[in-house]
Order: sequence, then structure tokens, then C-alpha cells
Amino acid sequence: MNSRRTFLATAALSVPALAGAASGAGNLANNPAFKDCPRANGGPNAHRFPQVIVQDQHKQKAWFYEQLINNKLVLINFTSVKSEKRYPIIGNLVRVQDMLADRLGDDVNMYTISTDPYHDTPEALQQLAESHGAQWKFLTGQPDDIREILHAFGVHGSINGLTWIGNEKTGRWLSKASRQHPLFIAEAVARLSIGRHHKPFLVDLHSV
Amino acid sequence: MTIKRRQILKAGAAALTTPAIFGGAMLSKTAQAQLCRPTGIRSPGTEPDSPPVTPFTEPLFIPDALSPVNPASLTTPPDPNRHQRFDEFQPIKYYEQRITEGYWNYHSELTQLTPNQSGSLAWMYNGSTPGETLVARYGEPVFVRRYNDLPTADQIQMPIGYPAISTHLHNAHTASESDGYPMDFAEPGQFWDHHYAMMYARNDPNEALASLWYHDHMIDFTATNVYAGLSGMAIFYDHIDSGDENDKHPHALRLPGNMRFGGAPGSANGYDISLILHDVRFDSSGNPAYNVFDTDGHLGDLITVNRKVMPYLNVERRKYRFRIYDGGPSRFYELQLGDGDPFFIISNDGNLLEEPVEATSIVLGPANRQDVIIDFSRYSPGQTVEFFNVMEQINGQGPSGRRLDGPSRMNVMQFRIIDSNVEDNSQIPDFMRKLPPINLNEVVAEREWVFDHDMGLWTVNGSFMDPTIISAAPRQGTAEIWHFRNAGSSWAHPCHVHFEEFQVLEWNGKKPTGVLRSRKDVATLGPNDHAKVFYRFDDFVGRYVIHCHNNVHEDNAMMLRWDITPG
Repeated sequence: MNSRRTFLATAALSVPALAGAASGAGNLANNPAFKDCPRANGGPNAHRFPQVIVQDQHKQKAWFYEQLINNKLVLINFTSVKSEKRYPIIGNLVRVQDMLADRLGDDVNMYTISTDPYHDTPEALQQLAESHGAQWKFLTGQPDDIREILHAFGVHGSINGLTWIGNEKTGRWLSKASRQHPLFIAEAVARLSIGRHHKPFLVDLHSV
Repeated sequence: MTIKRRQILKAGAAALTTPAIFGGAMLSKTAQAQLCRPTGIRSPGTEPDSPPVTPFTEPLFIPDALSPVNPASLTTPPDPNRHQRFDEFQPIKYYEQRITEGYWNYHSELTQLTPNQSGSLAWMYNGSTPGETLVARYGEPVFVRRYNDLPTADQIQMPIGYPAISTHLHNAHTASESDGYPMDFAEPGQFWDHHYAMMYARNDPNEALASLWYHDHMIDFTATNVYAGLSGMAIFYDHIDSGDENDKHPHALRLPGNMRFGGAPGSANGYDISLILHDVRFDSSGNPAYNVFDTDGHLGDLITVNRKVMPYLNVERRKYRFRIYDGGPSRFYELQLGDGDPFFIISNDGNLLEEPVEATSIVLGPANRQDVIIDFSRYSPGQTVEFFNVMEQINGQGPSGRRLDGPSRMNVMQFRIIDSNVEDNSQIPDFMRKLPPINLNEVVAEREWVFDHDMGLWTVNGSFMDPTIISAAPRQGTAEIWHFRNAGSSWAHPCHVHFEEFQVLEWNGKKPTGVLRSRKDVATLGPNDHAKVFYRFDDFVGRYVIHCHNNVHEDNAMMLRWDITPG
């Protein structure tokens, strides 16, 4: 696993002064059985996420938590070019994209994280996205870093059927099946929204 | 779907060769470390431990009984049209509960760590967690209005959970609209009305329920909302199980009773005491900590009883009835007295057995309940005896299969025997409540529910929660055989069905014995387990759910809707 310093050196990225690795790295460091990873900083669940850099299908680089999640309303799902052939989810999520309409890219951010960073180059992901008309970010990166991200979401293996919807303004997260009816995924976004976009439901399923 | 005999035999054989979840040795510390994950994620080995607290210094909290309100004081009158059979079961008792965010003293040493020493953050019913106990009697219908007075999501302090509520009275024979269906939620500023008919299922007194609990059931947020504090107990009494150990009624069971009455000074002031267990992990500022991204389940490292960390209870030298609940979210328990002495189990999932079962431990999965009678007359004043948990669990999936012993046992609570010479008119009856008859000729259908893990999803029959899909629609007035099957080889699933109870016909191909000969609402399925059970569907119609009561699995899709349709 690359440390943040290695990144800065190799990627020669100019990133505004981000705080260093989170606390907790020290107390287990002497035990070789424990593997440790610098944690992100900032919002309510920052410590759950690794401090790593990812790259989207347009080769834009970003700090995963601090630039893509912190203080944002996000939908995150997992697949790869190969996995999508065996367990397709993008088509359903494109229907969610259509329901989110103008909010996507404005106050709602959607990310697909590659479960196969060894093979999923930005070019390959761009092709995957465009073939479905998906307009959100498809993220890949250093395999070790992507593994830490997948680990943070409990994703094991290349196929995973969960979409996480989270609002890091409030720290509230929930999961929906990526193949769930898109209405209920869009509804989760509406429920976790605050302010004028908040809606407790899109379809009222209350009794009576 | 019908199960072939061969499949059943196969499942039965597998269960016999699978190592039992009891027995075996501890995993070595080195091996545990190898299994550990990076800091802050997933495994209990790396999730920060709670701050250290001294066991058995906090007195047990015993919630009051919920006090009735004058129905005229309800700002909006109850709407009979919202409830099935409301006119037939007109409420006799009315209650109100307000759900708020506040501070709770889980343990004075944790409270010391909190800002201003105000206590740990908690969501509460009428200012306490567990909420006040709903004490009800058969034949006295109940109306409860629950107000959501939580702040909105952008204002709340509790780091987890979502401030919309749907309150499920677990195992009550309740019409769908009062059942706490996950979509029947109230947002902050709203309320929801619950009508409990307090009728026996099928008007059969042998269907009486005794130890129930209410807890939040908000769609996607059940685990976290309950963890935040939204649970409480309920007790249903009738003419046999009356709560009065001096009852002159010829059929009265005279179990240890007199809840909140009598007793020597310094005692618990009552002999019928509910104990709900939640395992909680606290952060360095004394607030509940929880990793929402760990879909295996959540394990706390401190056991709370009635939301006090490892409390103590002064007891008199006599018999007590303890109603013991596993409040979850994901921990399984095997509870034992420190001296290994026996006690009597009198209920399973809160329903009286036909005959008491003598045992030295009870096993509970999330949402299971058992009532036990412990006789403290064998102890001397000044003695103490502890309740320990000896079930090892190293992640949220289920028990590891090993048993804790010696100092590795988890402290649950302590009983302190006080000097007293109280009268004990309670008894341990030879026979309690007959099980309702099972007539297999009434069975019109068989269904199978397979609990599995697939593509990172917790699934039932390969599917996941969608409130618009009706996965089964039994007709009112019919009986069915249901099969619950755990397809996993490493995890356990406490499978819970709302509204009706079942009786086990076969568990891994064997007839039930002991505490399994009972009416149950949670089938705690170990790896590869198969339970074949008998159901009847009567009295109310509407939407209900079947789900895994490892609430973390439930929130990650392991729930399906099923309906009772008019017969």
C-alpha cells in the first residue's frame, strides 16, 4: 500500500493541505499482524475511509473521501467491465440517474468503483459508461488503494450487489440492492436529502 | 414450494456433522490478530474498544409501567376507520409515548467522559431507554399514540440512525396498520396510532402471549434506531398468568410476580423483572459507536442490561421470574450463572411452555426471549452470583462455534443476595399452558424461505426487500407448513415472522423437545439449519414481513413482504 507521501511524489499532485493519517494508526503499528492504512479526515464517517487517490474515466484524479464524499450526498456502487457481463447493474442505475435528473452532478454524486482495478483502465471504464449512457463517475486507481476502498464498504470479490446512499452532511447512510427497483433507490436519495430536496418518500406506502 | 423428503434428510445429516455451536476452544490471540482488518473497519479486533468501565457498579434500571392517559386529552381523537375491528375491541387503556433524543447514563464512568458529563446520547421513549413497560391484560384493548419528537436529520446529534420511526410490538397479534410495518413510519413532528386488540389468537387462551417487546422497525434503519435506544418491554397478563403470586383463582399459576410492589427495602421491589440485553460499543467520549458499513452485523464489546453496562441487582432469598430478551442487533448469547447452578426455563419467545425445563444455561439469538425462574433461597446474604455470556462471537455473522470459559466469559450482570426473610408464595408449576393443537389436515400450502448471502447481499429466496412485491399471500382462516432454511455455512439467521407464531414440526428432521416444544416467533437458524414449522393465519388481514432479526442483515435487504388475504 502506498503511503500518501509516495502518492504525492509519484502523482506530483498538488492537493491543498490535507491533514495527515488519522489517529489510531499508531497504537497497532508495533504488531506486524495488523495491517494499517491512513484514514481520511473531515466529515462524520471520514475515519471509515482510506486516505487514497482515485481516478475517473476522464483521468481526473481526486482524494477519494475528501473530494468525492465529504459534505456530499452520494450513491456508490461496485462493478467492473468483466463483472458487468455476469451481474449487470449499470442499466438499472441509469434508470436511477434518469429519476435524479438535474440533481445528478449538482447536489447528488454517483460513483461506480471498479472491483477490478488491475484491468479497468480509465479508457475501459469510459467505454463501459458510454455504452450505457451513464453520466456519473467510474473510479479506478492503484489496486491496493481500491482494495482499501472496497474493504471500507465490505466488498469482497468482484461482484457486489449493494448500492450505498449516504449524506455526509448528516452522516446518514443506507444500502439498497443495486438491482432494487430504481424508484426505491431514488427514494433513498430523497429521504436522505436535507433542505428543499428532502422528501420522506416518493410513493406513499403508508397504511390507510 | 414443497420440500422433497430427500432434501430434508440431507439437511438433517449435514446438521449432525456440522460442528455444534457449543464446545471447543478459544481462538488464540495470534490467530485473532491475523484475522483482524485495518484500523477502524469491520472486525471487532480492530474497531476501537469501549473505554474501560468497572463491572457491577451500576444498579439495574427497571422501567416503570407505562401510565394510562385520559383519551379526552388526545389532541386528535383516534380514528376508528384507520384500524381493523376497532369497534369490536374498543380501547380500555390509552397511552402516549414521545420519542426524543437525549442523554442516558449507561454507566457513571461513561457519563464522566461525555461533554458536560450529561450522559451518553440516546433515543428514548418518554425519557428512558428501555421505554416504559407496556403492561396489558387480555380482554382490555390498548391504544398507544407514539409521537416522533426527534430532531430532523440535519439537527440530530446521534451519529447513527435515521429520525423516522415505526414501532413494532414484537410478537403481538396485531392488525397490520398497528404492527410497525417498515413503511408505516412517522417523520419528526408526526405521530402514529397503534391499536392492540388484546385478543387471543383464534380466541384460544392457549395462544396467550406473555413477554413481548416493542422496538423501532424503520425501513433500512432498524438496527441503528434500536441501537440508538428505541426498544422497550411489554407484558401481557391473563387469568392464569396473572402477575399475582397470591392469586386465589383456582387455575392461577402463581408465578413470581407483584411487579413493582412489595419486597424488602433495598431489593428490586418486585419479583417479575424484565432484562433486555443489548451489546454496545462506546467511543472515547462515551457515546454509542457503530460501523454502518459492516453488513455482517454489529458487535458491541460491553453488555448492557436495560441499557446499563454490566449492572447489579439486589435480590431477596426467594424465587424471581426474569424475562430475558436478546435486543440485538447481532449478538447471540448463552447465559449461565457463575456457579453453574440450574434454574427453570418457563417460556420460549415469551410464551409459556407446557412444563418448566430445568437448565444450567439459556441460549438466545437476536429477538429471542426466555423467561426463567431463579431461586435465590439457596444463597446466603452477602453472597453474589453473576450472569455470564459464554457464547463466543468474533464477528456479526453469528456464533464462532466456541465457548468462552474462565476469565474470557463476558460479564452480563450481578445478583447481590440481601438479608431478608420475605414470604415467597410463588410456585414453579408442574404444568403451565397447553400448546394449541396442530391439525395437519388443515394445511393448504407449503412454502420455503431460504436465507442466504449472494453478491454481497443478504437475501431471502434469492430476493431482497421490495415493499411492492408480495412474496406470499396465505388466506385468512387457513394453515400452512413453512420451511426456514439457512443456506449459509458460517452464519446464523434468527428468522422472524410478524403477526403469527409457529410451532416446530421438525428441526433438522428431528421432532422438537424441551424448550423447542413451544410457540415461537423467531427461528434461530444455525449454519445449514432447516426448521419445518406449522402456521395458522387468522383474525386480521394485511401486510406483514418476514426478515432476519440480525437487524444488520435485515437493513441490508434480508426482508420480504407477505400478506394475509381475506379468506
